[in-house]
Amino acid sequence: MDSLTIPATGRTPGVSFDFAGGHLRMTGESYPDDVAGFFGPVFDALRGYLARPDGGAIRFDMELLYFNSSSAKALMNIFQMLETVAKAGRPVTLTWCVEENDESMRELGEDFAEDLRHVVFRMREIPAGGSP
Amino acid sequence: MSFNLFAAEEEALAKARALEKRLEALAPQCLSEYRELVAAFELSTREQQRLVRVSDRLQAQLSDANHELERRRSEAEAALESLREAQEAMVQSEKLASLGALVAGVAHEINTPVGIAVSCASHLADATQALRRRAEEGELGKAEFARYLTTAIDTTDLILGNCERASQLIAGFKQVAVDRASAERRSVNLAAYIQDTLVSLQPKLRPSGHAVAVSCPGDLELDSYPGVLSQILSNLVMNALTHAFADGRPGDMAIMVDLPTPDTVRLRFTDNGRGMSEEHRARVFEPFFTTRRGRGGSGLGLHIVHNLVVGVLKGAITVDSMPDQGTSFTLLFPCRTPGQD
Repeated sequence: MDSLTIPATGRTPGVSFDFAGGHLRMTGESYPDDVAGFFGPVFDALRGYLARPDGGAIRFDMELLYFNSSSAKALMNIFQMLETVAKAGRPVTLTWCVEENDESMRELGEDFAEDLRHVVFRMREIPAGGSP
Repeated sequence: MSFNLFAAEEEALAKARALEKRLEALAPQCLSEYRELVAAFELSTREQQRLVRVSDRLQAQLSDANHELERRRSEAEAALESLREAQEAMVQSEKLASLGALVAGVAHEINTPVGIAVSCASHLADATQALRRRAEEGELGKAEFARYLTTAIDTTDLILGNCERASQLIAGFKQVAVDRASAERRSVNLAAYIQDTLVSLQPKLRPSGHAVAVSCPGDLELDSYPGVLSQILSNLVMNALTHAFADGRPGDMAIMVDLPTPDTVRLRFTDNGRGMSEEHRARVFEPFFTTRRGRGGSGLGLHIVHNLVVGVLKGAITVDSMPDQGTSFTLLFPCRTPGQD
């Protein structure tokens, strides 16, 4: 499996994991009714990819504009999975996208970065009201 | 003193660090596994703190969104309320305008008999003056006196007849105008009241030659709001003159009253004018719906009729029409208007 693509809906985020290119993105908004049903397959695919021995660089773009508490925990789990492979020597860059003026999302990003020591964390500002 | 939500977790970690020192001495082979456990607990505590912040942020956003929603809702309600007030004000001014038209009709109608009476009286005065002069000069002949008598009888008959006519008109108008202005409830003979109202509309009807035929049981007494009835009838007549018989189109109107049940009046107002399309028919009672915007149409005439029939007479009104087939309004309302409660 070289990619995982799930189109965004009103309540679930868009997922585009390009495993061949090492580029992972999550976009839109995330407050799924069935957290396990949505994140289960995402975690499975990610776990399978990270377990591969090829060890190429990984870019992860967190472009969610809104997420609920369960999704926040899911994100923290994903970040810990990335931190684990980064600690083992794989280059990982995490880009946390915030809409300009969304100060609280920026603070959350800084907060989430606290436990990342081996993953390179970047904050990127995107225009407000831009693409979901 | 400072409050710490996570004091218990920090206390547990402090204990774990103390334990780590004892473990180092007592069981060094367990140390690395133990440190991993403590690190996992530290991570979990930080995640917990993070989740609390995420949750608080979401609550704050929800609360902001609710306030915004409430603000917009009250804005929309205020806008609706002022729209209703504006609409009510226009309906009131339209009613006043039609009362004004009624007064103008009264003046015009009374002008004719009063004018005749004035010129007859003036003619009689002249003839009397001439007669007195002849008498003073001692030259008054028998034949001349007889001519004067004929003149006097003719003119006084005319004066009396026209003054009676004026007096009748005033009585009828007075009642209609008082009813219109006061909206008082009273008992009224419908057939006579229809006639009084039509008389006030004569100045509008006569020049165009459109007649209104009335068929109504002579003994039908209503306990209702005659001013409202009069307003309804005159709006229907004016509507027909403006639309059904626009541009000098010939034709007539009819008012037919019967009692489908002993307590219900059915009043039909029909014309054989040009009718209207189904699209217009469906919207005819909507406020501000008019086909004559900019040519004197306010779009309120039939809306007021509808409001008065439904709101005051506690009845119903329907309209049937087809292009070139005339229009028929049917009003159904109780003979005794039920009380306001």
